Amino acid sequence: VRLGPIIAAAAVWAAIAPAAAEAPAATTRHPSILVSRQLAARAHLAVGDVVTLGRDPQGSRRAEFRIGGIYEPTPDPMRFTASRIEARLHLPDLVDLVADPADPASRESANAINVRLADPADAGPFSFDAMARAPGVIVRPASRSREDDPFAVLDRFHVAISVVTMIGGTAFLLALMVIRAEERRETVGILRLVGISRRTLLASVAVEGVLIAALGAVFGIVIAVASEGLVNRVFQARYDTALVFVRVTPSIALRAIVIAAPLGILAGIAASWTLLRRDLLSIIRR
Amino acid sequence: MTALNLAWRTVRRYRAQTLLAITGVAVIGALLFDMLLLSRGLLLSFADLLDRGGYDVRIVSGGGMTLRLPIPGSSGIARAVAALPEVERVVSLRMMTATLQVNGQPRAANMTLVGVSDVGAGLWTIVRGSNLADSASGGTCPLVVGRQLAQTLGLSVGSDVRLNAEESGVASALPPVDCRVVGIGQFAFSVPGSDDAATTLPAFYRASGEAREGDADLILVASRDTAGPERAVAAIQRLRPGASVYSNEDVVEQFNRSGFAYFRQISIVLSSLTMVFAFLLVATLLTVSVNQRLGEIAALRAIGIGRRRIAAMLMWESALLVGVGGLLALPLGEALALGLDHILRQMPGLPEQLHFFVFERRALVIHAGLLIATAFAAAAYPMWLTARMPIAATLRREVVD
Repeated sequence: VRLGPIIAAAAVWAAIAPAAAEAPAATTRHPSILVSRQLAARAHLAVGDVVTLGRDPQGSRRAEFRIGGIYEPTPDPMRFTASRIEARLHLPDLVDLVADPADPASRESANAINVRLADPADAGPFSFDAMARAPGVIVRPASRSREDDPFAVLDRFHVAISVVTMIGGTAFLLALMVIRAEERRETVGILRLVGISRRTLLASVAVEGVLIAALGAVFGIVIAVASEGLVNRVFQARYDTALVFVRVTPSIALRAIVIAAPLGILAGIAASWTLLRRDLLSIIRR
Repeated sequence: MTALNLAWRTVRRYRAQTLLAITGVAVIGALLFDMLLLSRGLLLSFADLLDRGGYDVRIVSGGGMTLRLPIPGSSGIARAVAALPEVERVVSLRMMTATLQVNGQPRAANMTLVGVSDVGAGLWTIVRGSNLADSASGGTCPLVVGRQLAQTLGLSVGSDVRLNAEESGVASALPPVDCRVVGIGQFAFSVPGSDDAATTLPAFYRASGEAREGDADLILVASRDTAGPERAVAAIQRLRPGASVYSNEDVVEQFNRSGFAYFRQISIVLSSLTMVFAFLLVATLLTVSVNQRLGEIAALRAIGIGRRRIAAMLMWESALLVGVGGLLALPLGEALALGLDHILRQMPGLPEQLHFFVFERRALVIHAGLLIATAFAAAAYPMWLTARMPIAATLRREVVD
């Protein structure tokens, strides 16, 4: 059950109430609540403290609770910028706090009911059936399809940026390989003069390309793994969340190598071909 | 011969590597340019959408901008606010989910129905037919429907439809209301996949079965030019202490702090990465290129060309690579931005007219500044290398050996 406004008001009161609530704590048995790590840090709360929660900032209706635990809110990528100033109450305690005494029905109402179906595939038909049986009630499947998922869109965006970066990187790699091929002009000329074929020279360049690309990819992965913790720590501190922002998985590492290796080979061969396709006399500048 | 001439001859001599280096700078520069556009694009686009209707102040319920709840006593508030000297005009809005069905056809569509107190409110752009205010043919329930809804149900101006104040599939005892489409419009905050229609407040109340004038979900206020939105907000807060009143700038600022944070962060991270990437690549290219030409540079020094001119030549080489690449990056970046914008706009729940990449002069200036800094930084090491190069020893090593 989600009760947003109540939780916010509770947070306001929890932030100001511990000192006022200390006196009666010794003799009264208070219902327990959980507070989020962020709320505990902001309001300097500890397990065992007695706090007063109110349904509004004026504290027109309030009750005392004992903090039974401090919890880390489940990281939610959709809300990572929100400060998680939250408290969790047992539903009857919350109802006691917020229900309107003049309206007996208010004790029976909840903002939302979460349902776990035996078969998740029934979510659509179940929604229609429930709405037909309970007029005025809106029933929505909670699971997201690939089309509804904003993270699928972000994924496509990141892939597009990776492709652009790769194109730019390939152009630079080609330029470097062209310079390198030009540097070896004399060596290549001598090798051709002693009878080594173009194919053998290209094969040697390809092997060299594989080695350089593989080493480059491994180096890149090492940098990514080394910076993973730093990036996560910076963003976790910035947004006060346990959300993991960067994770280098084996599949991502493998994908990097699988893309980098052929690119390295192609760049090496293309650059060498600009030299090897020339006439032998032209290579040795004669 | 000037340093620029020397640099020009070098880049012409090594055409293939120059072209490849310029291509690399152009692609990376395009990405950098796009990240600069992304850094504020969504905010600019959002601010433009808010301003487009001509209203610069919003009054909402105590739930703030994120929760759409009715504003208690909204009619009284709207009347009192309209009388303020800082205020030009006021419009109250009601919103609800409803179903629209073409008379005599089984097809029905769920949509968001907006009821407005001022039928001339510029919250949508009429693309066919007339606005609610201008039409006498709409009877007691004139409707302006969104283009998407018109397409879905095959509606045109003059179509007779039935309006039901519940979603399709939800059991309801409310009788449907007969309406007529007077115009087809483009709604500023229309979301792909969800349909919109607007009508007058009396028609809205009839459809929702409310016995009396209900509370509005949103009150929009246009401040007078002489007062401005900040003074209008202050005046409304004096009139109704504790009311949730926001200027468009406040709304954009809230959006900037919450919903936009991810794109601001990714833009900063990717801009920094592309800058480092461009610097490393140009610096590596220039260094390798200088190492390849050490003998040539030593010979230039030996015939009397000074250190300063050689350094200037390398500076110009870097400037030519980065400058030409940076210029090409602008049209390339615009084209790339279209593609990336298309991808990001597939995000569910975003208004159709919201864009992530919006051009502004500031981005262009920052882009130029960052590329100039990159050109200088990338040329620094090769310049230092050639400045401390022993001429005789280098000539012996490179030429004689």
